[in-house]
Amino acid sequence: MASTDQQPKSQQKLILTTSDDHDIEVDRDVAERSILIKNLLDDFGPDAEIDKIPIPNVNEAVMKKVIEWCTHHRGDPPASQDDDTDNRKKSTDIDEWDQKFMQVDQEMLFEIILAANYLDIKALLDVGCKTVANMIKGKSPEEIRKTFNIQNDFTPEEEDQIRRENEWAEDR
Amino acid sequence: MKSAQTLASMPPPPKDDVERTWAYLQTGLEKIMTDLRGGMDLKVYMALYTAIHNFCTAQKAVFSNMVSGQSGSRGGAHLLGEELYKHLIAYLTKHLKEVQRRSREHTDEALLTFYIKEWNRYTTAAQYNNHLFRYLNRHWVKREIDEGKKHIYDIYTLHLVRWKEDMFLGTQEAVMRAVLKLVEKQRNGETIEQSHIKSVVDSFVSLGLDESDSTKPTLDVYKEYFERPFLEATEKYYENESKQFIAENSVVEYMRKAETRLEEEKDRVSLYLLSEIMSPLMRACEKALITNHVEMLRDEFQTLLDEDKQQDLARMYKLLARIPEGLDPLRQRFEAHVRKAGLNAVDKVAQNGENIDPKVYVEALLEVHTQYQKLVNFAFNGESEFVRSLDNACREFVNRNSVCKSGSSKSPELLAKYADTLLKKSPAKMVEEDDMEKLLTELMTVFKYIEDKDVFQKFYSRMLAKRLVGTTSASDDAETSMIAKLKETCGFEYTNKLQRMFQDMQISKDLNANYKEWRDTVLGEDSKSGIDATFHILGTGFWPLTPPQTAFTPPQVISDTYERFTRFYNNKHQGRKLTWLWHLCKGEVKMTCCRVVNAKISPILQVSTYQMAILLLFNESDTLSYDDLVQGTGLIADILNPSISVLLKSKVLLAEPEGAKAEPGATFKVNTGFKTKKMKTNLNIGIKSEQKQEVEDTHKTIEEDRKLLVQSAIVRIMKSRKKMKHQQLVSETIQQIKNRFQPRVPDIKKCIDILLEKEYLERLEGDELGYLA
Repeated sequence: MASTDQQPKSQQKLILTTSDDHDIEVDRDVAERSILIKNLLDDFGPDAEIDKIPIPNVNEAVMKKVIEWCTHHRGDPPASQDDDTDNRKKSTDIDEWDQKFMQVDQEMLFEIILAANYLDIKALLDVGCKTVANMIKGKSPEEIRKTFNIQNDFTPEEEDQIRRENEWAEDR
Repeated sequence: MKSAQTLASMPPPPKDDVERTWAYLQTGLEKIMTDLRGGMDLKVYMALYTAIHNFCTAQKAVFSNMVSGQSGSRGGAHLLGEELYKHLIAYLTKHLKEVQRRSREHTDEALLTFYIKEWNRYTTAAQYNNHLFRYLNRHWVKREIDEGKKHIYDIYTLHLVRWKEDMFLGTQEAVMRAVLKLVEKQRNGETIEQSHIKSVVDSFVSLGLDESDSTKPTLDVYKEYFERPFLEATEKYYENESKQFIAENSVVEYMRKAETRLEEEKDRVSLYLLSEIMSPLMRACEKALITNHVEMLRDEFQTLLDEDKQQDLARMYKLLARIPEGLDPLRQRFEAHVRKAGLNAVDKVAQNGENIDPKVYVEALLEVHTQYQKLVNFAFNGESEFVRSLDNACREFVNRNSVCKSGSSKSPELLAKYADTLLKKSPAKMVEEDDMEKLLTELMTVFKYIEDKDVFQKFYSRMLAKRLVGTTSASDDAETSMIAKLKETCGFEYTNKLQRMFQDMQISKDLNANYKEWRDTVLGEDSKSGIDATFHILGTGFWPLTPPQTAFTPPQVISDTYERFTRFYNNKHQGRKLTWLWHLCKGEVKMTCCRVVNAKISPILQVSTYQMAILLLFNESDTLSYDDLVQGTGLIADILNPSISVLLKSKVLLAEPEGAKAEPGATFKVNTGFKTKKMKTNLNIGIKSEQKQEVEDTHKTIEEDRKLLVQSAIVRIMKSRKKMKHQQLVSETIQQIKNRFQPRVPDIKKCIDILLEKEYLERLEGDELGYLA
């Protein structure tokens, strides 16, 4: 307890144990970008001895990416509970650093999104989804299928009907 | 620890199996609910969270699930979680039924302790669960609420809702009973554990949830289950207590008790109640402590007034001021009481007969006013309504009392006379400037209550004129101050003439200086002859003075002097007519034929101009007959006779035969053996009958002036309105006039008739009057 008092909370070190059993040391304030971890720490209280925190749903590689992102964004103001501002809705608006950060292979991209959802890091989840949205934007269905490696399971009739129904949304 | 260890060693449940997932979760919940103090394991915490997450994301199309979660209600993606939510409800209900069952084993304070302990345990667990179920909150619950589903809450709120339904509703009555018992103990003077009540209040408040938006707290639950019974119990408690207390104690003591109780209840709010309760709680106490006994309190008011119990009156005021319309009857009684006190004071003064000393009268009025004004300020908080009652009462007894039987004009007359005694030079008393100011201010206090302000004005201006002409004013500053005060109260018009009179005196001073200069340069040596004279030029329209009633032949020296002045004046202002007010003039003559006792100088006589004219005739011959004096002065007998009488009485003249009066047939000679010890002897004594006559005249002119005042008001109103109903005109005229005097409606009607006759007004159709330019 005495040591926590001397040490500023943000510089306290936490150890996260990933699903593949690797320990990663991380500053407390970086880890607290995850609401899951933040709530956990709150629930256990300031006096609790926090040992290793197991993160059973995220592996080391993804966890490292997530921590990289959290470290970069450690100073951001905490997102409010229901942050439905315009800013969030505009899919094109991605910070330059985040864009670079998201230049990873597709599999990693989806892993990051899943991890953000699990760890409850809203801003990261948003960036991930926006990135995917940007990948879809301006593409024909065929191109989209190609991008995400999706098999077309519509019959031609079904496809025709869907196109007609969504004609109003077409960009012209 | 045991259950947690088992849980930690349990393998995670298959993510798509509801029953096994729930069984897994329930083990964790049980631990959190019942044994959180035993310590929570990090692994277990994460395992539980992960189990819920995994269950909710267990569908094959994980990806589409998530994206549609973002995009809202479009698309048919199905979110998992409902089963968990339902299981949780069932679990909580079961859990709480058990808590409720155990609560029945306790009563009173033990019940409170139990309730609070359980509540704290439960809400802490709810906080934990809310975090563990956060994934459910973020997705399934959010979607349900967004789609407008009723009775779906976030997990924490769900805990509260269940507590309210499954625990609170069956327990709250017993809990409240315990709370109220505790409060009653405290009211009876015992020490209690206040924090218990505070915790209960907090718990009740937390249970208030807005049905339409669970994030918004409401006070509904608290109001219904805490505030209402609390207020009822409070009212009942004080109803009983006050009944009992009154049976054994005096009203004054009861008021003290009520005051203390109200104070205590007020403090109670900040100790452990919600501040919202303050005003209803006060109302409940006020009803039981004050409203229920209002008649008894009011009945005591007169006694307290009679005995001048200021502290108790203040207490009564404070108590009754708390309830609506509590004070109205007091104000009426207070007004009646003050009026009676005023009338009694005047009666005492009036006992001394017809001749009432203005000073005694005004001081009597003031004393009553001062006494009750102090009371209003001290006991009634200077409240404007009480001030008004005081004013009403004072207006009544100032204008309608035993001195004013003949009419309300007696008060203003006496007040004006009092003002005169204050402002007149008097050898008996020298008033300090500050004191004078204070006295004048007090005088104005009475003046404000005078209804017939025009009567005051009349008398005041006459007496001011006398003071100015006779130079008997004590101080110019005091005069100015008094006029300023009147102006402030009644406006410019009221004091216009007074001010002009004052100005005339100032102008005359300069004029006299100019005259002396002119006389010395223009006439040179010649100016030394004649008498040394000072002149006052008084504007006819402003001064309440009348020309002399008698013919008069001034002695040669005087006519020389005034003719010289007239020349100077006409030179300066052409076309002005000077009328000499001989009856107001005075002078000094030296009686050279004799000496002051033990001194080498001749005595000086201060005389009126008429007396001077008589005396100067004796310069020509030692003995003169009555007829000689009539011829020499030209005065009528009414003036001449009293003037001679004064000279005879003071032995300046001797009559022949001895003891003869001033009447035809008598002869008079100068008393060369006149003896006096004084250097100056004042023989210019006002004549009694003259003074009385003056008062009567003044009253008479008032009636005339009032008619003119009313008429001019009517014309002013009609000039601006052009057309007006009769009734309206009358009431507006009263409005305009009433700060001068209270006009009577028949008088106004008469004035309207006069104006119709004079063709200032015309009758139009339908009771309307029109203005004729």
